[in-house]
Amino acid sequence: MRLPKFEYFTPKTLNEALALLKEQGEGAYIMAGGTDIVVKMLHGRLRPKSVIALQEIDGINKISFSPQEGLTIGATARIVNILSHPDILQYYPALTDAVKVMANIEVRNMGTVVGNLCNAAPSADTAPPLITMGSVVVLTSLEGERRLSLDEFFKGPGITAMNQGEIMTSVFVPLPQPRSGGSYKRISARCGVDIAPASAGTMAVFRDEICSDVKLVLGAVAPIPLRAYRTENLLRGKQWTHELIQDAGYEAAEESMPISDCRASAEWRKKMVAVLTRRTLVEAYERSKKN
Amino acid sequence: MKHRINFKVNGDEYSLAVEPWKTLNEALREDLNLTGTKLGCGTGDCGACTVIVDGKSVSSCLTLAVSVDGKSVTTVEGLAPSGDELHPIQEAFVKTGAIQCGFCTAGMEMAALHLLNHNPSPNEAEIRAGLSGHLCRCTGYSQIVEAISVAAETMKNSQSEEEEQ
Amino acid sequence: MKEFSIIGKDVPRTDAIVKARGAAAYTDDMKLPGMLHGRILRSPLPHALIKNIDTSKAASLPGVKCVVTAEDTPKIKYGNWRLFPETQDEYPLAIDKVRFIGDEVAAVAAIDKDIAEEALELIDVEYEELPAVFDVDIAMKSEAPVLHDYCPTNISVNRKIKYGDVEKGFAESDYVREDTFTVHGVSHAYLEPCSALAQVDLDGRITIWTSTQVPYIVQCLLASTLGMRENDIRVIKPFVGGGFGGKMELRTWEFCAALMAKRTGRPVKFTLSREEEFLAGRRRHPMKLHSKIGFKKDGTIVAKDLKIQLDGGAYNAMGPTATFLCGNFGAMLYRYPNYRFHGQHIYTNKPPASAMRGFGAPQSLYATEIQMNIAAEDLGIDPIDIRLKNAQVSGDKIPDVATISSCGFVESIQRVAEMSGWKEKRNSLKLGQGIGIGCYSFISGGVFNWFNTQYPFSAAEVRVFSDGTAHLLTMAADIGQGSDTVLKQILAEELGLTMEDIRMTSADTAMTPQGDLGSWGSRVTLMAGNAVVNAAKKIKEELFGAVSAHHNLNVIHEIECKNGRVQAKTRPDYGLSFGEAVALVQKANRGEPLVARGSYTPRGKGLVTPAFGFGAQVAEVEVDKETGLVKVKEMWTAHDCGTVINPRSVEGQLAGSIQMGLGYALSEQFVMDGGKTLNANFADYKMPTAMDMPLSHVTHVDTYENEGPMGAKECGEGLASPTAPAISDAVYHATGYRCKDLPITPEKILEHVEKTEDVGLESRKTLHCDLEPEPYKIG
Repeated sequence: MRLPKFEYFTPKTLNEALALLKEQGEGAYIMAGGTDIVVKMLHGRLRPKSVIALQEIDGINKISFSPQEGLTIGATARIVNILSHPDILQYYPALTDAVKVMANIEVRNMGTVVGNLCNAAPSADTAPPLITMGSVVVLTSLEGERRLSLDEFFKGPGITAMNQGEIMTSVFVPLPQPRSGGSYKRISARCGVDIAPASAGTMAVFRDEICSDVKLVLGAVAPIPLRAYRTENLLRGKQWTHELIQDAGYEAAEESMPISDCRASAEWRKKMVAVLTRRTLVEAYERSKKN
Repeated sequence: MKHRINFKVNGDEYSLAVEPWKTLNEALREDLNLTGTKLGCGTGDCGACTVIVDGKSVSSCLTLAVSVDGKSVTTVEGLAPSGDELHPIQEAFVKTGAIQCGFCTAGMEMAALHLLNHNPSPNEAEIRAGLSGHLCRCTGYSQIVEAISVAAETMKNSQSEEEEQ
Repeated sequence: MKEFSIIGKDVPRTDAIVKARGAAAYTDDMKLPGMLHGRILRSPLPHALIKNIDTSKAASLPGVKCVVTAEDTPKIKYGNWRLFPETQDEYPLAIDKVRFIGDEVAAVAAIDKDIAEEALELIDVEYEELPAVFDVDIAMKSEAPVLHDYCPTNISVNRKIKYGDVEKGFAESDYVREDTFTVHGVSHAYLEPCSALAQVDLDGRITIWTSTQVPYIVQCLLASTLGMRENDIRVIKPFVGGGFGGKMELRTWEFCAALMAKRTGRPVKFTLSREEEFLAGRRRHPMKLHSKIGFKKDGTIVAKDLKIQLDGGAYNAMGPTATFLCGNFGAMLYRYPNYRFHGQHIYTNKPPASAMRGFGAPQSLYATEIQMNIAAEDLGIDPIDIRLKNAQVSGDKIPDVATISSCGFVESIQRVAEMSGWKEKRNSLKLGQGIGIGCYSFISGGVFNWFNTQYPFSAAEVRVFSDGTAHLLTMAADIGQGSDTVLKQILAEELGLTMEDIRMTSADTAMTPQGDLGSWGSRVTLMAGNAVVNAAKKIKEELFGAVSAHHNLNVIHEIECKNGRVQAKTRPDYGLSFGEAVALVQKANRGEPLVARGSYTPRGKGLVTPAFGFGAQVAEVEVDKETGLVKVKEMWTAHDCGTVINPRSVEGQLAGSIQMGLGYALSEQFVMDGGKTLNANFADYKMPTAMDMPLSHVTHVDTYENEGPMGAKECGEGLASPTAPAISDAVYHATGYRCKDLPITPEKILEHVEKTEDVGLESRKTLHCDLEPEPYKIG
């Protein structure tokens, strides 16, 4: 339970950070808020050669929003700032839902959304809502910038599509479509300080009483935040009924691939996927009426 | 390699050479002998090590000491204005019986300070949410919640008195 | 009801200000010049022979000052049951064999923590893995792996109690049922991880500051295990961040700190990590309880036969006491004319279980209370009424064990039913909502001298001064429960002084009077309190004599200490200030200071305790039928702790007990894979937070315990028992799921709900007590 020894760098510019990352090579890790990386180091799951902290780089801690362009969350923007952002609450309430239940106040004061994504835990709370919103991550390296759909970002527990030498400098969230609604919910055996054993995020678009488009992402029930394509197909283009929502719950449970661990059994997780899927669909529909 | 950091703790300037893997908790407790900040778990799950860095409550066990270079830290030792007086939060903790073993107390008080700085009139649910990252095994939290609402009242009253003057 | 001036008042705790300021020094806050940092190497295997340990690489690492294994120790076993040396089964460092993951193998001391950590990785231990056993049923089989050579059955303690004729009782019963319950292990989860700092001082004496509930026990066992004399060890208890039973034995790091301080000539400090606490720390005993109980048709209990297997883990620790007490708790609360108990303490390759708040009662009473509710339902009697019918009352005798002195149990049940709106809610709550009851009785300290102390159970020394102050010295250990405050209150009341007039020194074995058995079994208020009263009375005799002489009082005058004066009761003008009276006595004794020693040892109080606390608790819950998650909305408690000495402290004990009980019932557990703990952190060991707590209401039932100081008895541990059965019963009322296998998880509830979806409402109906009872089942 002691931190391993490592070198520490606080570059002042992004270019400096990228140069360091290249120079240090394998074993160099980026630190934003530190709440995940430090815990991993304490548990001996990570022994970095060097840690490159982004906190002193100007301009990457911003949250910017315009009703024309959408939302951009910078690499070092803290979770607490998402929580208190009025535009996010208005346009992206499912993201507010997610950050509201994340960890605890101290961790939210330290941690970042981008860090939550890069840590790539299957239970990462911000991943399901951000994926359903069609978010795109911006990965910067010395060679330049590339944009990747968040949907394609997660490759396994702690494994992402990021290449050596890349830093996630921001995540872009497009504007919600008219008549769409989003929701994020999770199960927790305890109100605060919890890592959810199951979660679900939904974004659905409605035309009259028809669900014209939908995205459903399940958390903590697969090696990555899981896009539930079969359930989405089942919902898309259908008349919005109680039965449809019930069926979607069952389908999502079928589609999920949970494991049993110290937090819950696989069987119960599947059941929770059904419940959460239904509950997020109901809330997404309610919220769509306001857009 | 050690890094030189300059930071303020409870208004005092400090200059330390620290190894990067040293946490703020260790720097406070071992280098500055400010042992009021406790270490209950070391993984950010219990809240006992909470301090305020630049106006925000953080877990000192997850904060690298190198990262507070140039910043301002407040610990439990910085709450009371003098040796005879207590901060209204401390006063309320003492009066309501919110302290038993006392090991969670510093963290709870710092959480209360953060909460009341951002929300001077919290309701009970907001106080409880403000303590969600803080574990206590002795009190069942009820007297702590009571203490924070008593402190909120006192702080509001003294603020309005100041404004009247 | 007696009139008091300080007892029963909300006196702020004497340590509150220093703790609020962050100025209270706990063991890990302390630093001494030249201090070394110690770390323990623990076994990665649940059961293995140690073939070889090579410490040479670790010892040669620069900065490492000392490495020890069992070979460097006197190889003397220790254990709290000194009266029965055969139960002492533990060495400070493993010899030849490890018995659980986390068993202590070696220790290092280095100039800083990083070096100590690095040195641990350099110790090479060669193990030969042995088959391991993790389940009590398997451990008891003849072919099971044997943990300790001295104990080929793995059953280390057998305890039997028997009175009346159980078989005859069952034959005479109209209704007999048998149930098996399993309860799980939970962590004390005190916020302060264990820590010890040792230094060799003058004459080779070792002073150890340690986070303990039992300074005297640590002193004696540390001395014997190091092969030293008792007086060669001085134990000082600094502020302690909670114990709950988890800090009541000599532990390896205390031994190693002392040994290594001796070997290096430098102070050595060990502080455990939270991970170590969870992986290897003591815990509440998991148990299997088989209970057979017989009733008359009208709900009167006729007989009970209780068999319990305690999963003790790898060593006895405080398991013998738990085994002993389970049998006693099984016979408490209700009147059992015929009773039989057989308790077995069994070794398994898991971290040792030991004392934890309630000490056998939470487990034993869980079975009692749930079975009571099942029987009530079968007999068509309201759970409140069946309890009232059988409740123990003042004067009841438990053969060979005790006579119940003060007892507010009946009133507790009545009051809690009234407060909670029981009758109405039990009949009107909707499906998914429920209300349930749990009750408890608990001891106010033990009378069985398993430690074989040669001193009084508690002692106090009172020194009084002509400036009007008094100095109280006791070895009682305030571990956060507030005993220093309570003992001060008792002395202030007795001497007619204020809290500000009292100075106090506590829990230093070289400075405070021998002896005190420590803080456990809810013994401190009653036993140390009585010792304080005893000392104060001796002081008062002297003062009364001086005042009587000074005023030439008629011998028939009663004299009292009140409001800082020593005066004739009916003529307060005949008196002196407290300080003047002290000065007179001192003059009369040619300058000798006025000092008195008091003590308390329970004698002629049976086998268990001098006094019992009682209480009843009702919980109201809401269960989410889709997820199985339980929300405990509200709790009502009525309890009898005799005179309430400090209301805020008593309420704090209650609220803390509810938090612990809530966790025990619903969310806390060690998730284990074989011998390995999978959730060794607070993120996954789910202790309730401020947001999980129910609204709580409490009533103190007014009784006066003649055996206790100012009428007081226990209030800190009994309340650890009722919460889990109350919640469990409420969950049953809400869902029809009867939990016989703690904890109550959402998964278990859902499984039940799914099985009984269609009959849910039907089964619920039988809970309505005014309905026609089911036919009696016999046998």
